[in-house]
Order: sequence, then structure tokens, then C-alpha cells
Amino acid sequence: MRGTSDRPGRFAEPWLLVLTSLADGPKHGYAIMTDIAAFSGITMEPGTLYGALSRLERRGWVRPPAGRRTPPPL
Amino acid sequence: MRPGLAGRLSRALVACHPRRWRERYGEEMLEVLDQHHPTARTVVSLAASAVSARLDPAWRTGRLSLPRLRRAALISAAVAAPLALVLGPVGYGMWQDSYWHPAADEPLETAAFSPHKGIMVTAFGEAIDGMDMVWDVTDLSRPQRLSQFEGGQPMALSPDGRTVATIAYSGQAALWNVADPRRPVKMTTLSDGDGSKLEELAFSPDGQILATARYDRIFLWDMASPARPRLLRALDAPVTSPAGDGPIPFSQQDLAFSPGGTILASATGTDQVTLWNVTDPAHAYRMATIDGAGDFIQAFAFSPRRKLLAAVTFHGTVLVYSLTDPARPARTATVRGLLTRALYPSGSPQPEETPLCATCQPASYAVAFTPDGHTLTVVVDREEMSANSGRDTIFDWHVTGSGTLGAVTAAARDVADFQPVIAPGDRFVLGSPPGSHAWHAWALP
Repeated sequence: MRGTSDRPGRFAEPWLLVLTSLADGPKHGYAIMTDIAAFSGITMEPGTLYGALSRLERRGWVRPPAGRRTPPPL
Repeated sequence: MRPGLAGRLSRALVACHPRRWRERYGEEMLEVLDQHHPTARTVVSLAASAVSARLDPAWRTGRLSLPRLRRAALISAAVAAPLALVLGPVGYGMWQDSYWHPAADEPLETAAFSPHKGIMVTAFGEAIDGMDMVWDVTDLSRPQRLSQFEGGQPMALSPDGRTVATIAYSGQAALWNVADPRRPVKMTTLSDGDGSKLEELAFSPDGQILATARYDRIFLWDMASPARPRLLRALDAPVTSPAGDGPIPFSQQDLAFSPGGTILASATGTDQVTLWNVTDPAHAYRMATIDGAGDFIQAFAFSPRRKLLAAVTFHGTVLVYSLTDPARPARTATVRGLLTRALYPSGSPQPEETPLCATCQPASYAVAFTPDGHTLTVVVDREEMSANSGRDTIFDWHVTGSGTLGAVTAAARDVADFQPVIAPGDRFVLGSPPGSHAWHAWALP
């Protein structure tokens, strides 16, 4: 029935789901995928996950944990 | 998609990302793939990710520089040079093949005519590489080539000008629809179950029967439906080589229908012409055998008006037979020494004239009556070693009502060259110089 679905709808934007997952602390990629699946029911594929992560990282909204290699400067 | 395959594809797609992207996320992503169970969706998402990253300027590895360009050019050249060495000759060969002419160096072998439609079909080259060309000869001074096709040779053109019969590469007769002479279309290949080489083809005057001749057999086909010919009769007609070590004629079989279409003549035996009654083609039978005066029959023709058959032998003897009673042909004329007269018009060999080699084909012949039947024309294509080509001599005789021949009324020399063909019903002879596709038409005197 319309309006009563539990699906996240437009809130299923990958970057929003990734930010939501990381809100409670740093996670590894696979942990983000399982967390998103747990709270939204959406199975996010690795290609989608890392596409969103790279955009968020470029904007400075997330950053890699200390010790993680970053790409060399252009 | 099987999980194993999806996993391998996923890992390959990770490697397809830009180098800078792989340095940042490649290791992580491979770890994720180790824990994840890749599916077709995984493969699609990674492919989209790779394309997106490739298009993203942020992941490009530096700017183009001259040294990088030079290095790329060197690598490209190192790859391209061996490829060019290998593929170049292959490509050149393919390009040459697209212009390859199966019978580029072959002279005219034969020609078939459809006088009512002004269409002529010429054949160049041997059966294995024969090329046929369709011409509009309505105005013979300005012939127009309408089309060409690789149909083999020799060939016959049906009287209505709609069907060409050729000897295909397979050795079988092939039928081509030339109703639209600009677009010949192959209709079918006749299969008579015989593997030997087909020698000759001829349509009956009404176009209802096609006769095909092999070395020792003649086949009669019902051509009521040219796309689906029906074998009516097979006739045993053995042709053997002349006795001794002499030269063997190029054309070992010849066929001609009488003007009324009731008699089929074929060269048989060592020196004979056999007349077949083909009034009922399905029950055709041998009617008579004509003696060839001890010499192999090279060419023959029926008179269009009178019941006469003229033949010319391998060494240049002209024979005329009366077919008033076709079962008992009677020879009415014999003219010997035609080849000698063609070779030595002055009566004896001149010092500059090189004698023929012993095993050469002495000459090729074409024989025809004029449409009124009053004149017999024989074209002698004499082989001259000194000229390295044939030169034609044309003889004409007046033919009496009883079938005897008067004195030679005309003798033209060197008017054509190589493999003459006389157009039936028309007064011209075709010849073709060796080494070209050109043909010449000479009006007969």
C-alpha cells in the first residue's frame, strides 16, 4: 500500500546511507555494507559503495583512518 | 552467473580502475570482495564504477607531457610495426583479390547470340576460371557491356535470350537467368551424376531442350522450367582421340541442333558425326553416323534453309552432307587442303614462314551457312609460330541446291585473330587477340 512502505525511498542515496552508517564510528568497507543492509535493507554493492566513499572523501565529509594510504597529490 | 566467474570478473574490474584510484581503494575493495559473495549485480556495479572513475578527471594520472607522448608513440610503433609486417601483405593480397579477374589473360573462347534481342554473351578463359560477359550488340559498332559473371564456359544462350548455360567450376552445367541482362542471376546447377568434364552445351531452336555433352555421353534436359530442368535422356556417344601420336583437338565434343530441332548432331568416334533423332527427346535415338573422311571433325553447322550439314575436319577438309534422308546422309562435297591454302596462299611455304610444330593444334575453325543457305563460310584460325598468335582466313563457297560447292567466292586473309566465332544469322565474325579481354567483330564479305 502506498505511503506505508518501510523502504527508504529517496533516502536511499548511497552517500546518505554511507554517512548514516559512519555516524556511529569508523568502519571497514565490508562493515559499512553489512550495516547498511541491517538498517535499511539495501544491499549495496562494492562498486556503488566505493563510488560514494570517493566522492565523500573528496569533499572532506569523511576521511581515511590514520595510516591508510591516500593517493599521491596530482 | 556462477559465483566463481562473478568473483573473477569482479577482481578483473577492480584492475580496470585508474591507477590512482587503485592505490587508494584497490586493496580495500579486494578485501571486501573476499568477504562479499560477488554476483552479477556486483560485476555490473564495478563496471559502472570503473567507467565513472575513468571519466573522472580527479583520478587521471598526471597531465600529458612530451616525454610521455614520445614513450607512447614508441610503444605504439613497436606494436604496430610487426603487425604491419604480418597484416600488410595479407591486406594487400585481399585488396588485389578484390580486383582479381579470373580470366584476365584469357582470350575469347566462345560467344553465344540472341539475335532477336540484340544480346550476346562472350566467354573468356577455361571452365575453371571462365568469365562471362553480357553485351548489348543492337548496334554492333557500339557494343555495350551490360554485366559480367563468373559462370565458366563454354556456354549457350537460349533463343529467347533469357537463359545462359555455362560449365560451372564443378564441371556441371549451370543455368543463369539473364532476362535482366544487367543482373545475371544463377538459377541452378544441373547434376547428371557424371564426374567427367562437361564439354559442350546447346539449346534446341525452340529453347525447350538443352543438350550437354561429356566426353562420351550426351544428356538431354527438359527446359520447360529453366529453374528446374528435368533430365530426359542420356545417350552414349563416345569420342576417342585420333589414331597415332598426332595432336588431340582442344574441343573433343561438339553439338548442334538442326533448324527444325528434330536432329541433334554430335562429334563421335574418331572421325564421325552422329545424328540423333530428338523429335521425342525422352526417346531420342541414334539415326545415322557420318564418316569424317579419316580426319577428326572439328566443327559443323546445319544449313538454315536446306537439309545440309557442313563440317570441317582437324586438318582442314570441308565436307557437306545432304540430309534429305537423315537416316542415310550422303556426302555431296569434299574440299581438301583448306589449311594449306590458308597457311600458304602463294601455294608453297615461303622462307620466312615457320613450319608448324608437329604436335601443335594446326588450326581452329568456325563454320556457318548464310541465313539464305546459299553461301558456306569457313573461318580458319591458323596457328603461326612466327606470329605467336593465330591469324584468320575466311573462305566462302556458293552452295548449290544439291549441296555441292562451287569455287571459292571470297577469301579474306588476316581479318581476325584467334578463336573465331561466326554469329548465326548475322554476317560477322568475332575474334579476340591473346592476352586481353578485347574482342573484334568483322563484317563478313
